[in-house]
Amino acid sequence: MPKRERALQSIPPDVGLAEPTADDLLALVARGDESAFERLYDVVSGSVFGLIRRVVRDQAQSEEVFQEVMLEVWRTATRFDPAKGKAMTWVLTLTHRRAVDRVRSAQAASHREEHVARLDPNRPFDEVSEQVSGRLEQRQVRRCLSFLTGLQRESVLLAYYQGYSYPEVASLLGLPLGTVKTRMRDGLIRLRDCMGVTG
Amino acid sequence: MRSTSADLHTLTGAYAVNALSDGERAAFETHLARCESCAAEVAELAATAARLGEAVEFPPPAHLKARVLAAAAETRQLSPRTARVPRARGYGRAGALLAAACLVAVAFVAVQTVQSGQEKQLAQLSSQYGRFSDLLSTPDAKIFSASGANGATGTAVMSPSRNEMLFLGKDLPAPSGDRVYQLWMINAEGPHSAGVLSSPTSPLVASGVPGAQKVALTEEPEGGSPSPTGQVVVEIGLA
Repeated sequence: MPKRERALQSIPPDVGLAEPTADDLLALVARGDESAFERLYDVVSGSVFGLIRRVVRDQAQSEEVFQEVMLEVWRTATRFDPAKGKAMTWVLTLTHRRAVDRVRSAQAASHREEHVARLDPNRPFDEVSEQVSGRLEQRQVRRCLSFLTGLQRESVLLAYYQGYSYPEVASLLGLPLGTVKTRMRDGLIRLRDCMGVTG
Repeated sequence: MRSTSADLHTLTGAYAVNALSDGERAAFETHLARCESCAAEVAELAATAARLGEAVEFPPPAHLKARVLAAAAETRQLSPRTARVPRARGYGRAGALLAAACLVAVAFVAVQTVQSGQEKQLAQLSSQYGRFSDLLSTPDAKIFSASGANGATGTAVMSPSRNEMLFLGKDLPAPSGDRVYQLWMINAEGPHSAGVLSSPTSPLVASGVPGAQKVALTEEPEGGSPSPTGQVVVEIGLA
């Protein structure tokens, strides 16, 4: 133990023992720190790209959206308000919005058949089940998803992983609009409670 | 769109998973700025949705890192938000300006991908992009948008202090044949050309016109016309 104490003392107290979090790094990025941006890239790029790839599906388009999002993180870091939430949430909210914008504009421009091909309500959960396996957090997400009712889970996952608007989800599931709105909210509230998310 | 505030409150979930249309999102954000309990719930549900995002983690191709870092080094950051704008209005405005900034970035990437000689183009676009972000972060910048008959939308950001306007089209169909899109600013004297769009996805920055009431986009012969001859594709009121 004395050895460990010495090691701890050699680290200046303001540096801390843990790796810098996304929140620490984003605060530095907001001050124009390019090396912090590089480290932030290492921390968030897997989640950012994974989410885009899931929603957009096409590899080339996913790469485009990814670059666009990462640049947007750099450019708008100055507007991040730590009082309103965590850096990772901020980054992934921005990511999701861009990915969905891309899917919706592609959908507006593409053939009807491709649109119909996306309409498979069973797909999202199967794919999550298949990919979500290894890490602890991923197992937790999978476990918590299993506590939702079928309609709650489908409403949340069709919107989040496939970029459907709630009227599209309503028509896919054959439910009234109001029902889908409340299923999305109830489903997320149940997930929040299961995962112990505090915002 | 008519919604009561109880209706709006149930949209927290749909908002957190980004399942609202642009119009509803804007209405909901206006509501959020005034509703503390909604804002708290949205923050929690957005954090919950982000966990779904983290669960599908997948590393990007390694070569993208150098490209992103190089682009960042060329890109100016937005100035920090100032406290000059009253809070309730400032929220909606900031959201709208961020949306406009997103449109610029979309146009930026769209242009980047169709052109060859990417590195050079990228440097050029970055400097243009810096100009847009300056305009977007001007305290008196106001945003106006409208949809055309064919689903196309136009957004104009006006800054009286800079006497500049930024126009962005979204989902504009390709103009027929050799024709181009030309933008007009219309005041009591009539239409004044604000320039020709180099492509349907390109942003256009023009100087302001005194007393401008509207911005309109028409299809015109190559090179543009002295006064509008084609049908109006999108018309944006500036009031």
